[in-house]
Amino acid sequence: MKKILLIITVFILLAGLAMSQDKPASLGFKPSSYYTFSWNTTFTMGDFNKWVGNASPAGFDLGGRYLIKGGLAAGFNIGWQRVSQMYGYQTYIGPDGTALTATNYRFTWLVPFQGVIAYHFIPDRMVSPYVGLGIGGDYMEHHLLVQEYDLYRTRWDFSLTPEVGAVIKFGYFSQWGALVAFNYKYTTNKIELYNDRISKNLQMLNLKVGLSLMIR
Amino acid sequence: MKTKILFFLLTGLLAATACSKYPPESGRLLEDLAIYTKYDITINFNDYKTFAVAPSVAYINGKDSASITTPEAMALLSQISQDMHNRGFTAPAAGAKPDLAINVSAIKNTNTTVYSPGWYWGYPGYYSPGWWGYPGYGYGYPYYPAYVTSYSTGTVLIDMIDLKNPTSDHKVMVRWNALIRGLLTSSHSLDDVLKSVDQAFKQTPAIKTTSK
Repeated sequence: MKKILLIITVFILLAGLAMSQDKPASLGFKPSSYYTFSWNTTFTMGDFNKWVGNASPAGFDLGGRYLIKGGLAAGFNIGWQRVSQMYGYQTYIGPDGTALTATNYRFTWLVPFQGVIAYHFIPDRMVSPYVGLGIGGDYMEHHLLVQEYDLYRTRWDFSLTPEVGAVIKFGYFSQWGALVAFNYKYTTNKIELYNDRISKNLQMLNLKVGLSLMIR
Repeated sequence: MKTKILFFLLTGLLAATACSKYPPESGRLLEDLAIYTKYDITINFNDYKTFAVAPSVAYINGKDSASITTPEAMALLSQISQDMHNRGFTAPAAGAKPDLAINVSAIKNTNTTVYSPGWYWGYPGYYSPGWWGYPGYGYGYPYYPAYVTSYSTGTVLIDMIDLKNPTSDHKVMVRWNALIRGLLTSSHSLDDVLKSVDQAFKQTPAIKTTSK
């Protein structure tokens, strides 16, 4: 999985650089700002992966970037994500003499919000690769469902998200384009619902594919 | 400007329609059996030796409540008895009072949705303390028991009662209770229920005795 994601990342950057070199610099425009809306697929990592192992395509991300100087941009990201997995019969033992055996469903629902800085290597080209860093937080709900019971905890956290990606205009002068990006996210969030296990510092990888709207 | 507004309207609409918090697959959870048990952690089951299982099951279905001895009910009682034997407990001598008594209830459906633990005591087939040899006594829990707020999905309840140590306030205590839930929401066989009884014992390893 990590190799595939690495290949995707390298491909995005190389494709962007290659496509940007084969046309005159006069073709295209540098936007003053742009907005993105992307479909987000999440791959949980570490302890988070033990809670929910499935990759989850249930997520959206809305972002805005304002080019400050040259290729340097600042903006925001907000979103919505959910990772979930059904587990077969498992037994949970409580400290007070209780025990429960049942199928269960685990999911985490999160609302990320971050301030972002990004650097676009060639912001005026049709394919504009960038690297960025998001700093912010998440609101997370961790749910353990057994029959109609819903055991859950809510937590806020601090998060860091380095990201690589590219904004690809549909034409040299088109306002509309595509966004392809990949990021790693580190959070200080934790899960305390499962057999007294505490999963700390939840981490994930995200693949974002979507639309972008560029403002001249 | 219009394009920007259109972009935010479209993305907002798409996000709002897709942002369901609960995954749709979670609805199937009610179809599976759940086995929930709780026991009194202050006692040692090794202090008990003999047991008796009630001769019938209290079947609770509103006005149709009854004491039943159908083949399914007898298989259920037999399975509980077998599990107790497997844990080292034996039948009492003829005429002797057992150390532990076991009452079993099968709840099909009721019209109310909120119950307190023990509400099923007194239904036909749920044997009273008097029947077990303590006339004038009541039942009690020394701990907060395993229970659910709605039994409408079909539930088997098993109560293990301590006849050896009646309390000074005229109560006999339930030391272990188990509930097997989800019986009416899908096609569960008798075998599924009997396996669930085994599981109820399996997840309570404290229920065992080597007492002679």
